[in-house]
Amino acid sequence: METNKQIPEKGAYEASSKNSFGDGAKASKQLFIEEQQNILKNIWVPVCHESEVPEPYDFRTSSIGNENIIVCRAPDGKINALLNVCPHRGMLIERRPQGSFLEGQASGNPKRITCMFHAWQFDMRGNCVYVAREKEGYQDRFCKDDAGLRRLRCNVNFGGFVWVNMNDQPVASLEEWVGDAFSSLEGKINSTPLEVVHYRKEFIDTDLKAQLLKTPEKVDIHSKHSFFNFGHFMTEDRRTGANTDRKKNSFPTPDAMQSIRVNLFPGFSFHLDGPSLNVATVTPVNENRLMVEHKSLVPQVESETDRSTRTRFYNANSGPFKAMGHDKPKAAVQNEEKKQAVADHLLNEWSRWMDQHPDGESRLSDLTMRRRRNAILDKDEDLIGPKVVVIGASHAGIALADRLRKNGFSGKVAIFDRQVGGPMERPPLSKGFLLGGGETVESKSLLRQKKWYKTNKVRLNTQTSVQAIDVKNKTVTVNNDDIVKYDKLVIASGAIPRELPDTVGMGNSFTLRQPSDANAIRQAANNADSVVIIGGGYIGLEVAASLRKKGMDVTVIEAASRILARVASQPLADHLEQLHRDNGVTVFTGIGVEKINKEDGSFESVTLSNGEKIKADMLITGIGVFPDSKLAAEAGIETQRDDGGAILVNEMMQTSDEDVFAIGDVAIRRDQVIAVESVHNAQETASIAAAAITNTLAPTLQTPWFWSDQYDTKLQSVGIVPVQDEEVYQVVRPSKREHGMSFWSYKGLELVAVEVVNDPATYMEARQCLDTKRSPDPSQISSLSYSPIDSGGGRS
Amino acid sequence: MTHESQANMEKSIEKLIYRAALALDDHNWDDWFKLCDNEFSYSITSFSPEINKNMTYFSGNKKELKGLMDMLPKHNTDHSPLHRHTSVYTVDVADDGKTADAISSVTIYQNMLDGINSHIDSGESRLFVIGKYIDKFKITDGTPKFMSRETKIDNRRLDKGSHWPL
Repeated sequence: METNKQIPEKGAYEASSKNSFGDGAKASKQLFIEEQQNILKNIWVPVCHESEVPEPYDFRTSSIGNENIIVCRAPDGKINALLNVCPHRGMLIERRPQGSFLEGQASGNPKRITCMFHAWQFDMRGNCVYVAREKEGYQDRFCKDDAGLRRLRCNVNFGGFVWVNMNDQPVASLEEWVGDAFSSLEGKINSTPLEVVHYRKEFIDTDLKAQLLKTPEKVDIHSKHSFFNFGHFMTEDRRTGANTDRKKNSFPTPDAMQSIRVNLFPGFSFHLDGPSLNVATVTPVNENRLMVEHKSLVPQVESETDRSTRTRFYNANSGPFKAMGHDKPKAAVQNEEKKQAVADHLLNEWSRWMDQHPDGESRLSDLTMRRRRNAILDKDEDLIGPKVVVIGASHAGIALADRLRKNGFSGKVAIFDRQVGGPMERPPLSKGFLLGGGETVESKSLLRQKKWYKTNKVRLNTQTSVQAIDVKNKTVTVNNDDIVKYDKLVIASGAIPRELPDTVGMGNSFTLRQPSDANAIRQAANNADSVVIIGGGYIGLEVAASLRKKGMDVTVIEAASRILARVASQPLADHLEQLHRDNGVTVFTGIGVEKINKEDGSFESVTLSNGEKIKADMLITGIGVFPDSKLAAEAGIETQRDDGGAILVNEMMQTSDEDVFAIGDVAIRRDQVIAVESVHNAQETASIAAAAITNTLAPTLQTPWFWSDQYDTKLQSVGIVPVQDEEVYQVVRPSKREHGMSFWSYKGLELVAVEVVNDPATYMEARQCLDTKRSPDPSQISSLSYSPIDSGGGRS
Repeated sequence: MTHESQANMEKSIEKLIYRAALALDDHNWDDWFKLCDNEFSYSITSFSPEINKNMTYFSGNKKELKGLMDMLPKHNTDHSPLHRHTSVYTVDVADDGKTADAISSVTIYQNMLDGINSHIDSGESRLFVIGKYIDKFKITDGTPKFMSRETKIDNRRLDKGSHWPL
């Protein structure tokens, strides 16, 4: 028998009983975590009894796995189970074991569940009813209707127990889960309202699986036992259970005699033992520890004498000091065959949940199938027409949704994004944000306010990763294997910053793409004096300017012969390099990084290809991005290379699959020479795709534009400078504005791009020229008396 | 009762409570029973904030207790000795001098002997239970005896432990 796997085998129980350290199922953290995730968060758990919350506003706290929950009774008498965690900052809300919200607390109003940290308040159904400083603090970005405690699936049934399932789409309904196993018990415990009169807990130093293996010890040789689906089983005392004469001694009479024990997988025991119902529930605390809670229930209404009779019976047989009364001789419960059958039954079920069943049976697969069935059903019942699914809440993704609605699209629009929180403006992240004070990115730069999604009926699913695209069945697989159908799919997944292999995992090393990256850089910069920035592109230079303005020592290292070698003209690059030097930044060009030096796992210095070593408190890498096209490539959608690159699209942004579009940084047109990563590109490609999807007029294409802020210098450019084309040359045009100038790029007599420094008026003129395909005379453009607009130099 | 005789009786009751603690520590059940009236009753109770109820974990009279003590050798039990620290807080002797009430604080430590693995656990002392003794006494010819003891414990967490009176 292999001892390093959790596969149950015939004889497992026997082996375990001979081994004082367990069956080789070594209690491990990983196993514990998997049991929490796979089993406890997917099953029905009897968290309390309805009598523990008898009045409106009463509550009882409990936990399932490592999740804190609260059960409370609403004013209408209905019992609800909620996650006992504030959605604001994730703090545990109610800490008492039970009580009532009817009276106000020190930090809470009457009839409200109140988080003591920021006073957010919730009603008994979990609805958020008060957010401190809602309007002043959040303006329109957030309203309390969008918050609320997570309401859990909750049923009160089978003797008045409150059953909760953490999974919204459980593998079985409560009736399916419990029903058969409770068949002998249900009539008796439903015959009268019960109440909990006894409570205690104990801790056992073992793990869940080892505890399952101990369960057979409770199988009495005199009992008949029945096995049920889901690992449940029941034992019934043969001497009393089926005997008609004994029926008069059935529960709920105080002199009841019969014994029925229902064990629900993995550790919930309901033992109708004579005149009381004894319930034991197992809660794993950690990988080596279980908590067992014992409760005794009796009829709510009865005489003191009857109550006393039951209590004495319970204490003598099941109470914590029971051995003072009776103890059954061990010899009476020995029956190895029965024990083995029970052990096999339990371990088989355990292995089904843990995906370790020798025959491949899997509860998790059952769950997935159920979820898939449910997910395929569309939820936006009020919308009709085709469904557009967008991967990525980027500038491009949001612009597409906006454009679809503006084009009159009335179907469903669902956006999936793996990031936390609403989509953000990205350009400020490398600029002013890094200089900011206490505010977060989220408070400054939402691409759209929440109201916009509601108004435009755009379903935004954040923290939702798309795992696969199935172009044949026109579905995407998202978190938890949910499957979502689409009619048109738009990939707007953007790009991923390149990292140097040596910097991966270093705490004081950063790239910048997402708001979380910017937050991390800003926090680190607040405690740092110096920074090395690898990469002299726009991101690197903008970050250099921002951190230099914070007073840090900044070194920029660019391996190419000049900064902005891929995207800007030589004169502009020279101008900006001098700007940085004038502001105290050390700029290296034409020098590579030989080595990243670490100290205690953190960045310490870089060694340059010339042997020079530069120490700094933090490192930022800005060496470009690569398209996030993996999903598309895996789905067979054509990309630049077999192993990735941008997704190839036609002039309508259509990929090699006619129902799949790609926009923004992840896409490149087949005739496009160089990818352009910019807000303009995101918006324009989104508009083109939206027009194609809605079969409306395609937008008039604009000349690409771009801007950058560095120190007090504003750069605006229009057109793309073909930096590799040796025939292209620049003419400098002075400006009427102080510190202003512009660089006009020509190929022959044709104007191809203009880069403008601190001169918005000239930028507008340049843009007009390029949009109207007008080429001012290059021999005169350097003269301020020459007007490029009035020059009349049009070309076709 | 004179002040002096009342003070003497209070002292006697204090000593009685402490003698009972020693007898219980030593599992000297006979000596303990000798301190109890024939009508003596014993209970272990607790209040559970979890279910908002008073609970009785055990109750029995002297005869039942004696029978149980006689059965102890046949029980599987944790043999780790318990040691009580008792402080008598109040003793109230009735005006007629025939009965008295006393409330004592009690803390019980368990000196591990069995444990999960006695090789590792034995010898360690752990806090076992905290609570109060709520005692009633019958005074006959100047001699107090226990009429009842309610051991009201604060613990609701009760791991495997003793099978004898606390």
